[in-house]
Amino acid sequence: MMDELEMLKKDWQMKEAHLPKLSYDELYAMIWKKSSSIVKWIFFISVIEFVLPHLLYLIPSAREGMAFYEGLGLKNLIIGLSIVQYLVVFYFIYQFYRRYKEISALDNAKELMRKIIRTRKTVKNYIIFALSMFLLTFLLIALGIYLSDTDSFITVLNLEEKKMDMSVGNLRTVVVVVLIALGIVCTAVLGLIYFLIYGLLLRKLGKNYTELKRLEV
Amino acid sequence: MNKELEHKFVTELESNQNIVHKVCSLYTNNRDAHNDLFQEITIQLWKAYPKFRGESKFSTWMYRVALNTAITLYRKSKKRVQTQDYDTVIFKIKTEEYDATQEQQLALMYKAVKQLGDIDKALVFLYLEDKNYSEIADTLGITEVNARVKMNRIKTKLKTILNP
Repeated sequence: MMDELEMLKKDWQMKEAHLPKLSYDELYAMIWKKSSSIVKWIFFISVIEFVLPHLLYLIPSAREGMAFYEGLGLKNLIIGLSIVQYLVVFYFIYQFYRRYKEISALDNAKELMRKIIRTRKTVKNYIIFALSMFLLTFLLIALGIYLSDTDSFITVLNLEEKKMDMSVGNLRTVVVVVLIALGIVCTAVLGLIYFLIYGLLLRKLGKNYTELKRLEV
Repeated sequence: MNKELEHKFVTELESNQNIVHKVCSLYTNNRDAHNDLFQEITIQLWKAYPKFRGESKFSTWMYRVALNTAITLYRKSKKRVQTQDYDTVIFKIKTEEYDATQEQQLALMYKAVKQLGDIDKALVFLYLEDKNYSEIADTLGITEVNARVKMNRIKTKLKTILNP
């Protein structure tokens, strides 16, 4: 085997003469082309992931949303939660940007992979946080309705017509159960979509990184 | 980026472009993919060039960026269709010095190397480029001992591919 590899080495080095040759001008033109590296992909996908949940919050306009929470007696809690949420989001964005900037093709192969995975993990943690907040909002609304002794939730959720068919107590139970189920299902679906994107994007990289790390054991 | 830097970079790249072509020929299977990867490596080299301080040789620095791009940064794997036509260009040039058996043996060896995983390929590539184990270890971020161990495993793997 040794000889065969040596033979291959000799041949490999002889073939150098047959390699394609690009001219100075061709190479010069290339340095201005756009990169399509995985780091770029990660950057854009992450930015979308940071922005998208906030765009979703904008759909029912902020004022209507507040009236909704006020009706359920959750206004202060939701304001407090939003402040915490934005602080955490800014922390994640800062952390992401710092780690993203550290990625350099000049590192050795293993270090480069580690930094890319670490950057991506920041976004992963952010998504876990965002999904938890999403679920928590559903649960809080459900809890608010459950604990409210008035029938204000009927007005807030526009359920006047339904009131004819059911007692307020029953309606309350149905609304609470539906909200909790909806919250869990939506969170699970969003989580699944996210982890599919994450998995596909980093599959090859993860495999190579594991291989390099396995050598160390 | 000023004109002088551009000129210096392209000149050095022009005289060292073989390294990039060799990496591309190992990691891709057709001409389009080869050109595509070549371009991405060139972009990555250019982006990293301002940080190249000349502490190492330009070529040494190129190996690292080129392999990092091929293994980790490049992302167009779907385009890497299995075609044979490209191999004939670089890997199957008839060389007068060999007899038919050697010729066949070499063709099989190249085929076996191309079947290896990304990391294994990088090791073989650096080995074929006559790099020592300390350089190989440094490029990949593993210890020298582990580089040797890994290379021995690859040799066994190649042997199994060649003599099933």
